Order: sequence, then C-alpha cells, then structure tokens
Amino acid sequence: MIFENIGFYLREALLSFKRNPLMYLAAIISITAIFIIIGLFLLISLNFNLFLKNLESQLEIIVYLEDNISESEVNDLKKSITSLEGAKEVKFVSKEEAFQRLVKDLGDQKEIFSLLEKNPLPASLEIKVKDPKMIEPMVKQIEKFKNINIEEVEYGAGIVERWLDFTGIFRVVGISILLLLLFASVLIISNILRITVYARREEIEIMSLVGASSWFIRWPFIVEGLLQGVISALISILVLYKFYFWMVDKIHEAIPFLPLVVEKRELLPLGLLLILLGGVAGFLGSVFLVGRYINA
Amino acid sequence: MIRMFHVQVTYPNRVAALQDINLHIRKGEFVFLVGPTGAGKSTLLKLVYRGIVPTKGQVIVDGVNVARLKPRYVPYLRRNIGIVFQDFKLLYDRTVYENISFGLKAIGATNSEIRQQVKKVLNLVGLEHKKKTTPHLLSGGEQQKLCIARAIVNEPMILLTDEPTGNLDPETSWEIMQLLLHINLRGTTIIMASHDKLMVDRARKRVIRLEQGRIVEDLPKGIY
Ligand SMILES: Nc1ncnc2c1ncn2[C@@H]1O[C@H](COP(=O)(O)OP(=O)(O)O)[C@@H](O)[C@H]1O
Ligand SMILES: [Mg+2]
Repeated sequence: MIFENIGFYLREALLSFKRNPLMYLAAIISITAIFIIIGLFLLISLNFNLFLKNLESQLEIIVYLEDNISESEVNDLKKSITSLEGAKEVKFVSKEEAFQRLVKDLGDQKEIFSLLEKNPLPASLEIKVKDPKMIEPMVKQIEKFKNINIEEVEYGAGIVERWLDFTGIFRVVGISILLLLLFASVLIISNILRITVYARREEIEIMSLVGASSWFIRWPFIVEGLLQGVISALISILVLYKFYFWMVDKIHEAIPFLPLVVEKRELLPLGLLLILLGGVAGFLGSVFLVGRYINA
Repeated sequence: MIRMFHVQVTYPNRVAALQDINLHIRKGEFVFLVGPTGAGKSTLLKLVYRGIVPTKGQVIVDGVNVARLKPRYVPYLRRNIGIVFQDFKLLYDRTVYENISFGLKAIGATNSEIRQQVKKVLNLVGLEHKKKTTPHLLSGGEQQKLCIARAIVNEPMILLTDEPTGNLDPETSWEIMQLLLHINLRGTTIIMASHDKLMVDRARKRVIRLEQGRIVEDLPKGIY
C-alpha cells in the first residue's frame, strides 16, 4: 500500500507545497530555528564534555616511595599496581626527575636550592586511572601494600569527591535541559504542522467521505511532515556547520590550544540526531493531527 | 437496501434530532425527505453513510449494521454511497476534473480507470467543456452538477443528496432533478432531502415527511 502509492503521496506533498508555498516556507523556517537552538546546545555540551574529560585525565594517584627502596621492589610494586582494576598508566618518577620538575616549575626562584646539600624530594609512581570513580577503591588497595617502603599515598581526596559531584550535576542538568528542549520542540513542531493540516482539513474530510482508508489519507501528510522535518534539519545542520567552524576558528585565534571538538566523525551523530528528530516529529505530528479530521 | 429500526439520535448538546425512526427503502427507489429546517433531514442522511452513529436503534445498509461497523470498514461502506452535500464541499483550489479524480484516487483507482470514469461522468452531467475550470468560476447549477458527478463517479448503489436545488432557480432546479431521475433510472437508489415544494410535487415520487425529528407521513407518489 505504501510503496505502490509512494509516487502519489510525493506528488500530493509537492502539489500542496506549490499551492501554498508561503505557509510551508514559514513552517520550515520556524522548525529550522528550533533545530538550530537544539544543535547549539548539543555543540556546547559536546565541547564542555571534552573539557571535563581533559580535566578528568589529570586526576591521578601519586604513591611516594621511601628513599631506601630498591629497583626490584619498585618494579614489583609497579607491576602489582598496573594489574589493579582501573589502572590506565603507571609511571615511575625518580628523585632526580622530581627535582628537575620542581626546578622548572620554580623558574627564577631556583637559587634557593643551591643551599640544599641533598635532594629532599621522594621518588614516586604516578597512576592514571580509567575513571575517577575508581580512585578511592584503588587507593584502598594500594595502601595494603604499605609494608613495602611506601611513604605516602596521595590523591586529593576532597577534589575527587567534589569532581564526581560536579560532573554528576552537570550531566543531570544537561540531560534535563535537552529533554525540555526536545519536548518544547515537539510541541512547537506539532503546532506548526497543525496549521498546515488545518489548511487542508476539507481535503481530508472529502477523502474520508468518499471512502478513502484512514492510512491512505494520512500518508501524503506524513510524507509532507517528514519532508518538512528533514528539510528543516538539513538546513539547520548546514547553518550550524558553517557557524560552528567559524566560531572554532575565532576561539582558536584567541586561545590557541583550547581543546574543541573538530573531528567530523564526532560531529556526525549530532547531525544524524537532528535529522532523526525532524523525521520523527514530522511523522508523529502528521499521524496524530490528521486523525482529527478523518470520519468527520 | 436501507432499513432503520427505532432509531434515535441525540447530539452531544442534548438536541434530540431524530426519534423512533422506522423506515425501509428498497433498491432502486427514489425517495424525497421533506420537512421544515431543523426537522432532522440532514441527520437522517448522515446515519446512512455513518457520518454519525445512532444513539439508539439499528441502521442497516445493504445488509450491514452500520451502527456496529468497525471504523476500519467504514471506507468500504462509503465507497457504495455517493453524497451530494448541502454545502457542496468542493475543493476550490483544484480544477473541475481534479475535484472528481481526487475522490477516485483516494480509493485507489488506476490512472486509466480515472481518466475513463471522469470523462464519462463529465459527459453525463454536461460539464465536459469546463473540466479545466476551477469551481468558483462555475454557476450554482454547474457546481451542483459537479457535486453530483463526483458523487456518482465510482457508480455507487446509493446516492444521498441534501437540498441539491436549495439555492437554484426553478429551471436549473428542474434540470438537476432530471439528472437525478436519470441516474435513478440506471438503478441507483436515491434519497433527496428537500424543501422544494415545486420539485417534489412535480416528480411524483415517494415522500417521507419529518417534523421535529419524527416521521409524520410516508406516501408513495406523494406531494409536499
Ligand atoms: N452537529 C450537530 N450538533 C448539534 N446539533 C445538531 C448538529 N447537527 C444538527 N443539529 C440539530 O439537530 C436538529 C436537526 O438538524 P438537521 O438534521 O440539520 O435538520 P434539517 O437538515 O432537516 O434542517 C436541529 O435542531 C439541529 O440544530
Ligand atoms: Mg439540512
């Protein structure tokens, strides 16, 4: 039924566009505007997420070692920690390296070290984790190794907890705003479609009275709603694309190394989401709205 | 062809539009439905094509109980019934030809069937030369003919017409009347709601009179 008549449905959709181009143009512009708002929000979230990921990767556990630890003990410890669940990378920092780092960090003030006879800094293992949630359980495990010449385990207890709270809140708020936006857009889109369906209520009524099946009546409108949704999504993607990369250039001029999402591969799902949203909103909107005028 | 048993229709605003209607209309009959405005004529026609369902009682059309018909079968009922509405219900942004073909397309006719049928019916009502015009350029009588053409294009068994001569001069009315009688002669059962005394008296067909929602008279070869 759908495929046999697809030509007819498409023709009807095009005809109705030709008969009333201004109405459809207004509808497409309005829906496009909604998609641009949703798209902007998604782009901002995507980048904020990347920003959080970057900070997250800097969260680490540091295990300070006693000066009298032997090389084989260090290697054993390193192996045991690497085998713990959640460890991403374990790096050994010798006393010497630690001292060099400090010197570099202090810059001009490095003269103070000339007074020291011996390097006061301990060697350490720096542990990167796969997920900040793993930090606390890992610290507990590492503390069990304490008999072997570990001086101290450090991980910024308060910071990790606050971090987890913060990203949790960020996700909840982000998802809530997104849901709200989606809900609002479905309402607005169905109101826009309502106008285009209302303008053709007589056709719907006549079709129903001559004995057209309710799906036969609906399909041209569904095709039309789908087209409106998808066309709007495509236009908004084009606008967002141009605007986004222009904006990325501007930002990089000001802050050269700020990490931003520029991989087309990572942006693609966003575009697909908009097209899907356009299609679904157009489809459902038409199915429900046309039903009202059938069997009048 | 059409039977009603103790039919009552009460609209949501509690207007009792029809009460205790019993009638039997046979295949091929021509029946006038007369009575003052508000008597329930249009309501009775709506019952036949299931524009409404009765509040009480049974409506049987061609052996099918319309009141109990599942919504998805309603289209098949309607393909057997042509309707000429009091308010025309024409599409003014389409041509005469498209107004007729629209309904045929809607019930899934093929293009060649559509061309053939539309041509035939335009010839019958005498609008062949106006097929590319839009309805608002037609006279009242021509618009009415177009409505009739659209209603009979798929050769329904029943034709319902609601005051088709309501706003026409006597001469044009009689032309429409003759067209309907001609269609009736080909075997189509016709119910025509009307207040047109002249027309009813002249046609000498069965007359059912409604008053305040009740049948008060039912005469073969009656007058208004
Ligand atoms: N859709 C409706 N809703 C409520 N009341 C209606 C509706 N249609 C008709 N009526 C009422 O039902 C009664 C019969 O109307 P109708 O069948 O149109 O009469 P007629 O066609 O004989 O003039 C009138 O009182 C009218 O006001
Ligand atoms: Mg009426």
